[in-house]
Amino acid sequence: MKLNRRNFILSLAGGLIGINFTPLPWKLMDDISIWTQNWPWVPVPERGRFHYEKTVCTLCPGGCGIKVRKVDGISGNRAVKIEGRTDYPVNPLGICPVGMGSLQLLYDESLRFTGPMKRGGMRGSGEFVNISWKEGISLLAKKINELRAKGKPESIVAIDGNRKGSTCSLLIERLIKAIGSPNYVRISNMEDTYEIACKLMAGKSSPVSFDLENSDYILSFGCALIDGWGSPGRIINAWSMWHDYNSKEKPKIVQIEPKASDTASKAAEWVAIRPGTEAAFALGIAHVIVKQGLYNKRFVENCCFGFKDWVGSDGQIHTGFKNILLKRYSPDRVSSITGVPKEKIISLAKEFAKAKRPVAIFGKDKGELPGSIFEYMAIMALNALVGSINRIGGLLIQDGLPLKDLDDPVLDSISRRGLRKDRLDDAGTEKAPFTHSIAEAISEKAEEIELLMIFSSNPLYTLPNTKALRKAFGKIPFIVTFSPFLDDSAMMADLALPDHVYLEKIDEVIWPTGLQYPLYGLSKPVISPIYNTKHTGDVVIQIAKKIGGSVAKSFPWSSFEDVVKYRVRGLYEAGGSVKYNADKPVWEMIRKREKPEKGYSSFSDMWKKIKENGLWFDVPDYNKCSFSTPSGKFEFFSHVLFYHKNKLKAMGVTARNDEAFMPHYESQELKVSGYELKMIPYGMINLSSGWMPSPPFVYKTIFDNQLLKEDSFVDINPKLAKSLKLKQADRVILSSPAGNIKVRVNITETVPPDCVYIPMGFGHTGYDEFIRGKGANPNEIILGRRDPVSGHKVWWSTPVKIVKL
Amino acid sequence: MKHEHNKPLHRYGMVIDLDKCTGCGTCVVACASENNVSVRPDESDKKRFISWMQLYMITNGKEYPYTEVCYIPRPCMHCEEDGHGNPHPPCVSVCVATATRVDINTGIVSQIPTRCIGCRYCQAACPYHARYFNWWDAYFPKGKGLERYLSPEVSVRMRGVVEKCTFCHHRYMRAKRKAEAEGRRELKEEEYITACTEACPAGAITFGDLNNPKHKVSQLIKSDRAFRLLERLNTKPKVYYLSSKEWVRRMADNYLPEELKPVKPLALRR
Repeated sequence: MKLNRRNFILSLAGGLIGINFTPLPWKLMDDISIWTQNWPWVPVPERGRFHYEKTVCTLCPGGCGIKVRKVDGISGNRAVKIEGRTDYPVNPLGICPVGMGSLQLLYDESLRFTGPMKRGGMRGSGEFVNISWKEGISLLAKKINELRAKGKPESIVAIDGNRKGSTCSLLIERLIKAIGSPNYVRISNMEDTYEIACKLMAGKSSPVSFDLENSDYILSFGCALIDGWGSPGRIINAWSMWHDYNSKEKPKIVQIEPKASDTASKAAEWVAIRPGTEAAFALGIAHVIVKQGLYNKRFVENCCFGFKDWVGSDGQIHTGFKNILLKRYSPDRVSSITGVPKEKIISLAKEFAKAKRPVAIFGKDKGELPGSIFEYMAIMALNALVGSINRIGGLLIQDGLPLKDLDDPVLDSISRRGLRKDRLDDAGTEKAPFTHSIAEAISEKAEEIELLMIFSSNPLYTLPNTKALRKAFGKIPFIVTFSPFLDDSAMMADLALPDHVYLEKIDEVIWPTGLQYPLYGLSKPVISPIYNTKHTGDVVIQIAKKIGGSVAKSFPWSSFEDVVKYRVRGLYEAGGSVKYNADKPVWEMIRKREKPEKGYSSFSDMWKKIKENGLWFDVPDYNKCSFSTPSGKFEFFSHVLFYHKNKLKAMGVTARNDEAFMPHYESQELKVSGYELKMIPYGMINLSSGWMPSPPFVYKTIFDNQLLKEDSFVDINPKLAKSLKLKQADRVILSSPAGNIKVRVNITETVPPDCVYIPMGFGHTGYDEFIRGKGANPNEIILGRRDPVSGHKVWWSTPVKIVKL
Repeated sequence: MKHEHNKPLHRYGMVIDLDKCTGCGTCVVACASENNVSVRPDESDKKRFISWMQLYMITNGKEYPYTEVCYIPRPCMHCEEDGHGNPHPPCVSVCVATATRVDINTGIVSQIPTRCIGCRYCQAACPYHARYFNWWDAYFPKGKGLERYLSPEVSVRMRGVVEKCTFCHHRYMRAKRKAEAEGRRELKEEEYITACTEACPAGAITFGDLNNPKHKVSQLIKSDRAFRLLERLNTKPKVYYLSSKEWVRRMADNYLPEELKPVKPLALRR
């Protein structure tokens, strides 16, 4: 046969048809699919025996007990799953989604510094080069010594996100003090506002806690109870008991909040209030309680000061809280401020006062940000009126954990001179006399900072008005991060001395937020550090030793664990228990006034058990009526504020006369013409909005009307959408006087028509592809007044406008 | 056609109390981490992502300030029938590769990814959108180290196969092995529970044998509050929900106005 074009095509076609009758193509296709399916990027997990290790979660101040499932493989052991502990008093049922997924924070290499590093490229480029620990520590010690030699130790600033009272925070504060800088700045949250409110009304700076499990009526002023408020493991467990259909004992939960949030929807009653008017609402309720004579006369008359009019030591007649309430907070006026019908105010007040063990709780949203002092004071006063202060089922003001204090550091002449200088953030000065730290204020004083050290925090993400802060960071010559993560702030660092991630290290739980009894938790290294990282506690000690002189003398310990052990001795001296019986919840023991079994014989036995089980707790005796105020009573009229009466006007308190020293309502809203909407940030339990990154797993729980590809959504009411001619998922620019962010709109009836609700936790510039560049961070454009008493930025309402793209 | 003799020995089922559920999503994360479900850089593409336990949010549709929200966690329903009285779920009857079966001993609807040929018939047949297709290989890029948290109990899936909730079948096997080693034939109630049940911080999920009257699940499903999703499709799901709110129960299926019996609200039981 001649090979011409026709025959060639024929034979080709014939061949193609023919080959289909042989098994060859099928066999090949099968082989190829099997081959490709075995390409090595589908990993085969190594097998091994399982075992569990108990520890505590230190990702947030909630302090849940966790157990880690490990696999013992040939190539060493690895953690494969985190589960909740049923033998830990905080969280009998489970843990939160962030804790559940956090093995990814441990094992995702591109989230982490793998060792000490120096900046390689431009600031913010994220390029780092490896150095040794010795080099890193000497570099920092040299910088510190240079600044001390120049007589400028106060230009060294530390921003610390560790929990107040934790050993790590004490060591950092000690280092800064020993160096001679007054500028140890803590990241503040609602507990710092609790402390100030307590200081003003009860005379001691202690965080308040709430005996919710024993309460029968809970009035929640915007607390996102089921969205991560307080200790989430504890609150959601309590929530579960309260929502058991068959249980006879249920408290009534009333949520006072502008948004139909998860808590508002699931509470027995939701009171939709205008944003920022919680104080007025609390005082309106107080008015009704006082007017109808429903207040707890025994407590108010014996344990409170300033209720009735009185004559001061100087002969001046003061108006009492009672008359101020009656004159200024009638249901009519409160109704016009808050937008709540006055019948509702009256009926709620009656219910609240007539309940057996009512409690009013406060701290907006998740409580990760500071609140307003007068609002907190108003709600504390409401608790006092019904006698719910230091009572079972009420609000508790207790001393902190009985951990041993460290003695004062050794100071040389340079340090003493430096410590006499004013703080850069004005905390503790005349402008904010009761506040410990105002981290957001350092952006105004960046020129005076020569060296910034960042510990366990991500200020460039979590502080309001990050744009100004980013600019300020650019002016600081040297920034050191101790974060294990490549977070937004660490990207700006010149030197990274990375800490371990939580499962790799010994760390403390210092009294979980809002828990009604003292609890100390200790986490243990569940797996050995997988990278060349070092415990920041140890690194701080090593830096001090390297600096030498009086600074080295202030740090006589050889390791972090030594310091922890020294402090735990204080717990031993105070008593308490290390043995928890899961059948006997601690809140039940409180109600029955039972004491727990000690569970240890000596200090070394106790230390061993705390290290093994991670738990120490105590059941304190409440019903104490003693306060450390000048009057010795709970003060409606705060003497401490009265002593500062000349400064209050300059601080920005608008109320005059006696009302200024008492809980009262003053609007904190910033009004800017052209920006008629209010932007209100909200937290979510399934997204970390603080220092810790969110484990990528949680993005499975985020809806596509919260995040779509690179855009996050803001919630707006259909009425607002209609007036702005916006459709679902439209792209818009949200702008405040501080700047613009790009978002999409989610149209929902859950929010009021004049507000724009924006989630916190999106919009990172650091970390890896799972987290970076997803959505917008409300902190970029937050702009607000400062709270007149605390000096903190008012974060919960920013004037904004929406422009369609 | 009923197969009475084919009735499974055990019928493992789940009850989710929506009055307790706070919508936190821990069940979703616990499930993904227990079952080696990978996370892709973009999880917001809900048509392509994988979440065996998926969380849905519903609202009552009323105007502000009468709005309420509720969450519905949705695992595989482990249906017992296909809606026409045949004793296998809709997905099993369409599977051409025998990759999904109903286990006669447990009632669990299995899914064997290595058998799956990726035709996605089952995905189309499932009324609950409980089945997910792997459009890509599991996302564990080299050098990232994410594979270190993988559990050896569940194999990681490759692209081109369908996967879904298995009621943590490996946990059943684990419990079974332990019981056998101890010479027991029956599992105790708490011995075999799914990862989501164990993880729920609100204790909203209950798991157990619906055939065993002593198990909590078989008592809970008799409650007035109990309902199932799309009940009138008649696929007999083994996942039940509890809610005292009428609007939530109404949203589970297309009910006639008078069809739902009122339930005493939770708040009034003080």
